Amino acid sequence: MAHTKQTLLERRYSLLGLLLIAPTVLVFCAVIVYPLISAIYLSLFSIYTPTLDGEWVGLQNYATLLAKGEFWYSLRTNLIWTVGTLSLQIVFGIGMALVLHQNIWFRSLARSLILFPYFISTVVAVLVWKWLFNDLYGILNHLMMGAGLIEFPIDYLGSMPNAMVSVILVGAWKYFPFVVIAVLARLQTIPGQLYEAARIDGAGPIARFFDVTLPQLREVLVVIVMLRAIWDFKEFDLIFLLTGGGPVTSTQTLPLLVYKEAFSLNQMGMATAYAVIMMLIMLVFMVLYIRRTRTEDGL
Amino acid sequence: MTYSAKLRTGLTRRGALGALAATSALAAVPFRASAQETTLRWWSPQAAPQQVEAYEFQIAAFEAANPGVRVVFETTSDEGYAPQLAAAFSSGEVPDIVTHLPSFAIQSYYANGLVEPFNDVIEAIGADDFYPGANDVFKAADGNYVGTGIGNSAANMMWLRTDLMAEAGVDKAPETWDELRAACQAMQKNGIYGAPLPYGRNSMTSLIFIGVIHQAGGQVFDTDLNVALDTQATRDALEFYTSMRELCPPGATNYSWGEAITAFVSGATATGIYTGRVLGNVAAQNPGIADSITCATYPRLSTDIAPWTFNDFPSVFIPAQSQNKDAAKAFAAHLFQPEGYIKQLHAAPGHVLPVLQSINNNPQYQENEIIQKYPDEVELMAASAAGGFNLGYESTAHPSNEKAGEVVGSGAIADMVQRVVLNGENADTVIGETSAAIEAIMKG
Repeated sequence: MAHTKQTLLERRYSLLGLLLIAPTVLVFCAVIVYPLISAIYLSLFSIYTPTLDGEWVGLQNYATLLAKGEFWYSLRTNLIWTVGTLSLQIVFGIGMALVLHQNIWFRSLARSLILFPYFISTVVAVLVWKWLFNDLYGILNHLMMGAGLIEFPIDYLGSMPNAMVSVILVGAWKYFPFVVIAVLARLQTIPGQLYEAARIDGAGPIARFFDVTLPQLREVLVVIVMLRAIWDFKEFDLIFLLTGGGPVTSTQTLPLLVYKEAFSLNQMGMATAYAVIMMLIMLVFMVLYIRRTRTEDGL
Repeated sequence: MTYSAKLRTGLTRRGALGALAATSALAAVPFRASAQETTLRWWSPQAAPQQVEAYEFQIAAFEAANPGVRVVFETTSDEGYAPQLAAAFSSGEVPDIVTHLPSFAIQSYYANGLVEPFNDVIEAIGADDFYPGANDVFKAADGNYVGTGIGNSAANMMWLRTDLMAEAGVDKAPETWDELRAACQAMQKNGIYGAPLPYGRNSMTSLIFIGVIHQAGGQVFDTDLNVALDTQATRDALEFYTSMRELCPPGATNYSWGEAITAFVSGATATGIYTGRVLGNVAAQNPGIADSITCATYPRLSTDIAPWTFNDFPSVFIPAQSQNKDAAKAFAAHLFQPEGYIKQLHAAPGHVLPVLQSINNNPQYQENEIIQKYPDEVELMAASAAGGFNLGYESTAHPSNEKAGEVVGSGAIADMVQRVVLNGENADTVIGETSAAIEAIMKG
């Protein structure tokens, strides 16, 4: 065993290493650790938002919110929205990526245009969709009534289940290009020999998709699902602008509830308690998901 | 134990940020030494292009008279001002002057020490020039004025299409709910709906429905500010609102101010509910119906009940955290200088009505084309607004309600409407739960 003392040079290298990593640690603490601890700390107070003055209430905010039906209802709504929009994003995204992977006319132009919904501002996208959905002047109602499919305009955003379906569809439209980009990039790296071998074995297009393409996409889909699940779960602006959480609380997800507590009711302590709970829910899903994928990897 | 945004060292978060800002500022001294300019930030949700043009005139006049002072206009919105101001107050980055917010919003802020008393500005404008009682709504419990009105508004006027009324055989403006329903039923045809009442989950639904409760002879709070929703009047109001649903466009379930005015102005509905902004919008966007519109106070359960006009008392106030209070007060008083004030009122004729008697009597104000075209309507709106109320000031017998802004912001009343009208839930249960929710806000 050759245990030796650190040389001066090694100690200097260690110090240099610490110095080099210090800025990253500082930034990490400033933008992640401090807000996190601050949020947990705030959630233990009853705080009036405009003044940030408040009283210590301990875990009372948590007890109150967990006893409130509104929290559980919003959590359920949040899950419906997340699962619904994410599923459609994956289906549309993979489908469109497969189309754009083919040797079609204007492929480059189509690949550029497909990114349009993702890059457009959410506010602009929502305004456009609200006009499309409009009961009096919207093109959707106009075309459907013109075609004789409906007698009266459909109320897309003000009644259930239309409001939830509309929000999920707009969400899927807005974010599916992310899936397209990621899947398309992966499709281009799948070796052609795998398809050739599958053809020789007599596999048709559907069999090739399920036996070659999908397994090859698995890793990238894991990342996509993980990222998009996090982003969709905390989605605020699109839902808030489209329906404001209505009708009643039918499309009110947890981020909208946080906003309502913080800025409509001026209860910043309660709002941060909701936010902390949201973080814990996400954490639970993340841990379960990572464990599951690790187990599958091990098989 | 209390929380006041302080770190354990006793250094406040704002202090720490201030120190950081001061350090940055110090570094910039050689470059900024000659710049001694005071900048006033002015927020308002009323920002139609013509209004902004009038504001720019007022700003230019003020800057010319006060060298070294610059005024920057920033837009907020009717639905968005509360969160924006909450963020501004909590960060200390407040505007120096805010206009056109409803009076009940300021009372909440003043009660929490966030608003500067306005007494000296009212004196500078000329207290005697205001209409009698115009500033009562701005009087706080300590006797100070928290702001003043920059105008009056009659926000729930009923707008009517006289041509459609004649076609349908409706010979007079409806005064009761039964008459309104009958008129709307008669006029609802050929793709035109009866009314654009709001059923959305927003402040317009809350504010309009508060008026409907009063039009049924009820109130939200009693004169001791106890919740007084659980009455027959509220049930009658909900029943009326439910019965009107089939006479409104399908999308009214999501209507707020913008959609409601557009529905009437575009000709999609036979009646409307809005302020006098309808006049300007019709002239600009649908002049074909300009000779066929008029307005009346919104109908009520019976003619035994007096009309109840919702006046949000568009205000002017100065945040207590402003670093330029003196300049802001001077600018606030300047906003009432006749030339600029009249330009501002003319930017949306009939929408924001003058609060100063001298302005209303000023020939320059009366000369406006739209005001001259609709003298009866403008007169009616002015009279209705002068006797108007809102949730912060439900009647002359009510004290100022400091929690009114939060009650409206909570959406509890809009939720009540949606649950009963759209979901068909039991009215008694919903009224009970809404009362409990509002009581919790009052206690909170």
